[in-house]
Amino acid sequence: MVFSSDARWEMVDAITRQTVTYGTYKHTLGDVLGDLTVKPLTGIPVAFAALYAFWSVFTSFAGTLMTDGFMVKFFDGFWLPWMQSVWPDPASWHYFLFVGNPAADTCFEAFGMLTSGLFVSIGVVLPAVLVFYLMMTLLEDSGYLPRLAVLMDSVLHRIGLHGYAIVPIILGLGCNVPAVTATRILETKKQRFIMMTLLALFIPCGAQLGIMMSVLPDLVGIVMLCLIVGFCIFGFVLNKVIPGENPEILVDVPRYHWPVKEYVAKKLWNRTKGFLKEAVPFVLFGILVVNLLYLGGVIQGLANLLEPVFVTWFGVPKETVGPLIAAFLRKDLAIAQLSTIPMTTYQMVASVVLVTIYFPCVATFVVMLREGWKELIAAIVVLFVVVFIYGGIIHGIGILLGVA
Amino acid sequence: MTEEKAKGNADLPEKGTTVLMLGNPNVGKSALFNRMTGANAIVSNYPGTTVDFTSGTFIEGGHTYTIIDVPGTYSLEPRDAAEEVAVRMLRDSPDATVMIVLDATKTDRGLYVALEVMERGMPCIVAVNMMDAAHEKKITVDIAELQRILGVPVVSTTATSGEGVRDLAEMLRKAKVADIGAIAQRLRGEEQERESVRGCGGCGGC
Repeated sequence: MVFSSDARWEMVDAITRQTVTYGTYKHTLGDVLGDLTVKPLTGIPVAFAALYAFWSVFTSFAGTLMTDGFMVKFFDGFWLPWMQSVWPDPASWHYFLFVGNPAADTCFEAFGMLTSGLFVSIGVVLPAVLVFYLMMTLLEDSGYLPRLAVLMDSVLHRIGLHGYAIVPIILGLGCNVPAVTATRILETKKQRFIMMTLLALFIPCGAQLGIMMSVLPDLVGIVMLCLIVGFCIFGFVLNKVIPGENPEILVDVPRYHWPVKEYVAKKLWNRTKGFLKEAVPFVLFGILVVNLLYLGGVIQGLANLLEPVFVTWFGVPKETVGPLIAAFLRKDLAIAQLSTIPMTTYQMVASVVLVTIYFPCVATFVVMLREGWKELIAAIVVLFVVVFIYGGIIHGIGILLGVA
Repeated sequence: MTEEKAKGNADLPEKGTTVLMLGNPNVGKSALFNRMTGANAIVSNYPGTTVDFTSGTFIEGGHTYTIIDVPGTYSLEPRDAAEEVAVRMLRDSPDATVMIVLDATKTDRGLYVALEVMERGMPCIVAVNMMDAAHEKKITVDIAELQRILGVPVVSTTATSGEGVRDLAEMLRKAKVADIGAIAQRLRGEEQERESVRGCGGCGGC
């Protein structure tokens, strides 16, 4: 027996009338907070405060305390000299692959699998993602995300999305892989396509943020500004160009509750485990691939080939080709590599922005493929166009400002 | 990504009973699922956390159950790709038992999709979850009455603390097909329960 939707709702009403009773209910602190964080007048300052708190914990714990205070000292002061002294034959290919540059003073410069690879993944990125995952888990579990979604709704409508797109965006700041899957909560194909493309282009992941903070602390702000501006501009354009609907946000805002300790611990553990199992080997593998390509002369060849585009159009040195190849495997690795190339401030900002937007990392690529190959191909076309245009715009601005 | 996460249209295990967890987003399906199977489905406090399915097993009374945690859905007419996963899972597992999970503070909302499932003639059991939140909000749900009306087992649970999870596991084997016509009659006050009453109050649990 099948009912109409109206008949079903009538039955639902009848059932609840007979089974559910509502007592008198006093507003609690949670409800007051709930109201305050949704109303724009108070909600926007709260959102900024939350963001700022997030950022300062992130930088002070991961950057200053763990990486600079402990990991750098350990890796540069002990691990690297030790590897350089015990590994045989500095002129050999295996020394180049595993230890890297025999004259290097820091693990960034060495660029061997066991030196830079371990330093980047364990020394810099691990503390960063750990803090990031913890903060994100608290955001997710407290019930703040749906409120942020309501708050951001009108802004996101201008770029063809609605407030709930904040969920994939925030998840993407941790890792783009779950973020791509999370686009499933958006209703239309248009929304999902815009969201996935913007994720792949402009949302840096936690690993990348962590390494940027460590190697380019003064430039993170300007890089993020470039990314946010790009996000808005190209979101706006995509919204105009792509046909389809962008329905209103329909979201159930849950009550605030204290994050359950065991869920937080479990989630943190799972995410960290995922990082150790998937990201660390990828960083090592990435270094191996890049070093092999250097040994084979492929990168030098590509650099010469692409030199006109890089130097005249983007205004960055041709040596950035190597990091761009590494970026396909791991963005954090690419940034670490970029930081060792001597460049002007403008060139550094431009190349970091390019590394971020030019292509999703391979893991993101794979999940995007799983969500639909047609969309993936379309996204890649958009991506190349955007990289070319936006890279040119940034160069143009640099020239106008007299820094490029 | 956890290992338990079976991707896409992976084969569903054939042994034992398959139990699909279905209900609105953010009612605590994943939390209940983790409680019952010891698995690591991601639990958060926002609708749309689960966008893919996760399966896990548990043994109760010598019987193996394969539980599948599916994305939350408000109805069986999917609104987005996550809801599509839920509806597809339901369609592809015609022999499954459906564990309908309700949020005790929003029973009405969840009952809509519950009725839709019951109309499909699949064996059901209902878990009224988040009893602690309902308690705080001074909302009471008459579990016995709900069970009498629906004619399928109804269990109250609080997944975060684990309350009622044991009951839910034990009652799974009593899941049964709801008679939607009889529900309509009961709601109109026409008691036609001669068969099922048999002097026990007709709790539907046997």
